[in-house]
Amino acid sequence: MLFFAAILSLFLFLTPLASRCYSHGKVETEEEFDSRWVTYFSKPDIDAWELRKGMNTLIGYDLVPEPKILDSALRACRRLNDLASAIRILEAVKDKAGSHKEIYPYVIQELKPTLTELGISTPEELGIDKL
Amino acid sequence: MSLPKPVMRGLLAKRLKFHLPIAFGVAITTFAVTEPRKKAYANFYKNYDAVKEFKAMREAGIFESVRPAGK
Repeated sequence: MLFFAAILSLFLFLTPLASRCYSHGKVETEEEFDSRWVTYFSKPDIDAWELRKGMNTLIGYDLVPEPKILDSALRACRRLNDLASAIRILEAVKDKAGSHKEIYPYVIQELKPTLTELGISTPEELGIDKL
Repeated sequence: MSLPKPVMRGLLAKRLKFHLPIAFGVAITTFAVTEPRKKAYANFYKNYDAVKEFKAMREAGIFESVRPAGK
């Protein structure tokens, strides 16, 4: 009975990526999405509000941001002299990864050169990753 | 040794694809199966007269420890 109900629900709620139905506009590729966000954070005179707004919007998506987007966001933090937000961004990445523990170490690995260049410590290095 | 790139997109969608059918399956099952079943049992026993049923069973001669009345 449960099996039957689960199969029924599967058909009702399953939308495989390949057969998603869009009733409007063009689908944006992952590369286009990433470029858009890199550009957003690359604005030379980005202000603090735009940084916060961008990060909050980005965090709302069903994805962990690509290292290149995060690199752009961290550089925006540098331009705004906002070290706190830079470290918060790293915490947010770890939180977005949820139970997928392999994501955060990978992102840190990819961002290491940027973190060193900009002098950003990770939450782990500061000891603030533990409660 | 550098870490390979993991999957970073669609993680919630993947989780929901797996768990939502189960969740709705359980929900549908409770309302379509278990609740009617519980009601059926409750209704059966609402006006159940245990002594009357016992007497009927006794007369039917199914017990080993009690003989039908009058024998």
